[in-house]
Amino acid sequence: MSVFVRRVLPPILVGIVSLLGWELAVRLGRIAPYILPAPSAIWHELVVQRANVWEAALASGMNALIGLIAGSVLGVLAAMAASRVRVLSEVSVPFAAVLNALPIIALAPILNNMFDSTSSVPRRIVTAIIVFFPVFLNTLRGLREVNPVHRELMDSYAAGSWTFARKVRLPGALPFVFTGLRQASSLAVIAAVVAEYFGGLQDGLGSRITSAAAFTAYPRAWAFVVGACLLGLVFYLTTLIVERLAMPWNTRLLT
Amino acid sequence: MSAVSVSGVSKVFNQGRTDEVTALSDVDLTVADGEFVSLIGPSGCGKSTLLRLVADLIPPTAGTVAVAGQPAAVARRKQEYGIAFQQAGLFEWRTVVRNVELPLELRGISRDDRRKRAMEMLELVGLTDFTGHYPAQLSGGMQQRVAIARALAVSPPLLLMDEPFGALDEMTRERLQGELLAICAKTNTSTVFVTHSISEAVFLSDRVVVMSPRPGRITAALDIDLPARDDAVRQSAAYFDAITSVRKALRG
Repeated sequence: MSVFVRRVLPPILVGIVSLLGWELAVRLGRIAPYILPAPSAIWHELVVQRANVWEAALASGMNALIGLIAGSVLGVLAAMAASRVRVLSEVSVPFAAVLNALPIIALAPILNNMFDSTSSVPRRIVTAIIVFFPVFLNTLRGLREVNPVHRELMDSYAAGSWTFARKVRLPGALPFVFTGLRQASSLAVIAAVVAEYFGGLQDGLGSRITSAAAFTAYPRAWAFVVGACLLGLVFYLTTLIVERLAMPWNTRLLT
Repeated sequence: MSAVSVSGVSKVFNQGRTDEVTALSDVDLTVADGEFVSLIGPSGCGKSTLLRLVADLIPPTAGTVAVAGQPAAVARRKQEYGIAFQQAGLFEWRTVVRNVELPLELRGISRDDRRKRAMEMLELVGLTDFTGHYPAQLSGGMQQRVAIARALAVSPPLLLMDEPFGALDEMTRERLQGELLAICAKTNTSTVFVTHSISEAVFLSDRVVVMSPRPGRITAALDIDLPARDDAVRQSAAYFDAITSVRKALRG
């Protein structure tokens, strides 16, 4: 009960109060809907459009999920390969950091031209590339950071390098992998939605947002934005749950 | 045959570079079977380096190290010793019992046998109620007991310990000292124990080896003859006399 009062209630209260404030500001301040529609109007559209929002969220979510999985698998594999070769890992870290700072999303229109206009592949590729970097960088850091006591213990057991990787390096890197995955899960949704702004197949949340805005249906555009927020939240929370399941020893999670 | 035989060993780190350090210079040390030897000295005297040489975690620059009559490298590959450090160094993703099982696992011992053996070891250190816990759920003293159980799991003839109780409070430390002596007596294990506590060295050891820094070398070896090794002896004149003589040796 006290946990509920102290930790769950305050954010809910803040949320309700800010929604009320928003509604009042729009109504009393007579703010034009193209600047900011009232939450009640957005909610109304969300209810009316729920089937469309759901379908668009499924389409964008599928792109984000495939990109997330592909980018993460590649990121982990690349980090494992790079960690085996000292020179490679030292060279690849600054290189990856620089690439990570580039607006990779800007590749979307170029990729769109490489594929069919009805293809979802370019979005998935952009998402995978964006996901790759945080996963790669964090995993590599985890693989390189080995507790020196663990190293000496495994030496004293005369463990070979493969045994060492399997029993110490990989499980020890898991918390780092998940730090990368948490960043990547939010990025994947952003990338999948924003990539749709650059044309291509019109089936996801991003394309619905642009088309609603183009028809000056602002509350409808906002309803799809809310859908995108919820999708991002689902991805993030799912990652947290997977993390909890993958690392039962980490008791400080989800608190 | 002695448990450990170190002869003419020197260790130079970063040899030939400007930051060259002579950690050990011409050290000879023999540990008899079943003997408990402590290495004591100020920081930088090379006591931990000496222990790592015996463990074959680092190679000597000169001289030879033998464990149970064979070269240290061979002894390491045959897991002839168990080792524990100041940090428990438990694998946080493994439960307590699976931590103790790890050295057995690497020896290719069957699942049932290693579980049985690990449970025996945990009983020895009094942690049977915590076998399914993760290390993060244990106190520092309990973690250190798991580390000792793990070091003993392969029934090594030799136990190497590098300030294993250094990070613990005095109460826990004294209790674990008693437990360690009981375990060593029961299993007839030879022990090399690195510490910077005079009282700890005196209470535990058959022999205290005093070292001094720059360059690290052995300056004295004192036989400790106590009537018993229980809490009562900590109040005895013999105990205090031994402490005084070790302190004198440390001051040179």
